[in-house]
Amino acid sequence: MLCTGRATTPTSDERTIQTTGLTKTYGEKRALDAVNLVVEEGSIFGFLGPNGAGKTTTLRILTGLARPTSGSVQILGHDVALAGNQVHADIGFLPDVPGFYEWMTAGELLRLAGGLFGIGGSVLDQRVAMLLDLAGLGEVKTKIGGYSRGMKQRLGVAQALINAPKLLLLDEPTSALDPMGRKDVLDMLTSLRGRTTVFFSTHILADVERVCDTVAILDRGRVVAQAPIDELKARYGVQKVILEVTDGGDELAEAIGRQTWATAVARGSDGAIEITVADVGAAQREIPAMVAARNTGMLRMEAGEMGLEEVFVELVGGAQR
Amino acid sequence: MNGFTVFARKEAREILRTWRIWVLPGILLFFALTGPVLARFTPEIVGALAASQLGGLKLPTPTYLDAYTQWIKNLSQVAQFALIIIYGSIVSAETKSGTAVLVLTKPVSRTAFVIAKAAVHSVFLAVLVVVGTLLTWGLTAAVFGKAPGSALWFSALVWLVFGVLFIALMTLLSVLIDSAAGAAGAGLGAYALVSIAAIWKPLGSYSPAALATQPASLAAGKDAAVLWPVLTSLLLAVALVALAAQVFRRKDL
Repeated sequence: MLCTGRATTPTSDERTIQTTGLTKTYGEKRALDAVNLVVEEGSIFGFLGPNGAGKTTTLRILTGLARPTSGSVQILGHDVALAGNQVHADIGFLPDVPGFYEWMTAGELLRLAGGLFGIGGSVLDQRVAMLLDLAGLGEVKTKIGGYSRGMKQRLGVAQALINAPKLLLLDEPTSALDPMGRKDVLDMLTSLRGRTTVFFSTHILADVERVCDTVAILDRGRVVAQAPIDELKARYGVQKVILEVTDGGDELAEAIGRQTWATAVARGSDGAIEITVADVGAAQREIPAMVAARNTGMLRMEAGEMGLEEVFVELVGGAQR
Repeated sequence: MNGFTVFARKEAREILRTWRIWVLPGILLFFALTGPVLARFTPEIVGALAASQLGGLKLPTPTYLDAYTQWIKNLSQVAQFALIIIYGSIVSAETKSGTAVLVLTKPVSRTAFVIAKAAVHSVFLAVLVVVGTLLTWGLTAAVFGKAPGSALWFSALVWLVFGVLFIALMTLLSVLIDSAAGAAGAGLGAYALVSIAAIWKPLGSYSPAALATQPASLAAGKDAAVLWPVLTSLLLAVALVALAAQVFRRKDL
């Protein structure tokens, strides 16, 4: 397991979520295996993993909907297993497939949600109006039963914000949406930066890259990486080399592909050779020699930045090989 | 308002704005409106339909007590079965549809969730029984010209206790069994067991099982000691809801 460190370790006061040895088993199946997570106050935290990795199980435990087999969860300084409503008062939650009372209108549902938090009067009126606008449902008068998936998802985010939560937990908020719906939800999340801590699970890497500042990667119930997103990409970026030569690129790429230190070779759209390397030192020594041996010119040779997708495939795919 | 009150109000509005306002009220309204008329004209109807086969048969002249008995028998059978089937999903419908997750990740305890449901639907049943009994009473007076209220109201209220007991039972079964049909089947099985148990005198005198048969006796103008069965039924109903809440609190959603 790789858990990269931070420049400074947050104090317990700055930790919005802290799980310790969180384990959940269903019979013989271990859905979560000693998951340790730290989410700092104010961050937008991406909880990334392939389908079936255990993301929803984690969120169900964080919200008190399920109990861990072992381990503990602290949210906003409270033990979830013991605090119950004390934790619920300060969180907003959107499940992966939100269920609504379909006979209600969006306004009625938001009023119900606010009422359950003990919010009423003019405060509730203002929040309902503001959140209906934010969700783009201000003019919609029909019942929720007639809503599209995107409308329901936006309503789901809105109801999760009715209590102005200190922590917003979202389970796959964009997975079933069309590009416009995804953009709307991601814009809503981005607008919350600095105002509330956001923890959202997803398997869509582009969403994480777009809005998150910190990421944890979950694979088969284990956290395989957890770090600020730039740090994670930088750590893996040194394992990629971009090479551009004047001619004979195809033959050179083929020759590099046969080297033991090259794990993958691809051609970029601009004709550059993108080499994923297992031994950076060997690559740096041998690539110039191979170029020189072919009597060809080297236009550039540089360390490439790995995209989150490649980091993800490296960590998750590597574990599955 | 606290979470319990807000959720209970949601439950009441859900009754008024979904199919729930049509099904059980429709059944009870139908029997309340037709029972007294059928009771009054049964001898004529039977006579007209079966005059050739039953030429010598003379049916007794019907009285207001026949209308009362008809109403209570309809409550004890058709309404009871409908109630068991309808409430097979009283909790599981919300856990399956995801609406329970929406509510229970807010400051509402699972205990409040379960109690609010059982309480609101018990009040709903009470309103239906009172309205249905009022209609039966009024129509009986119109059809028979005489309708003393005590036998009718006493028997209807005693049956109401039995109905509330089954709402409590269905609340527990709906927590235990995710399938609405499965819970309803278990509820019907419990009803059959209770009806059989009522034959054994100790159970038929003191336990809730007595309420399977005694309301009909009361409606027919007979005396029946129902204090103990009513008390034990109410106690059992409270215990069943408490158990449902306890089980629900431990359940992964």
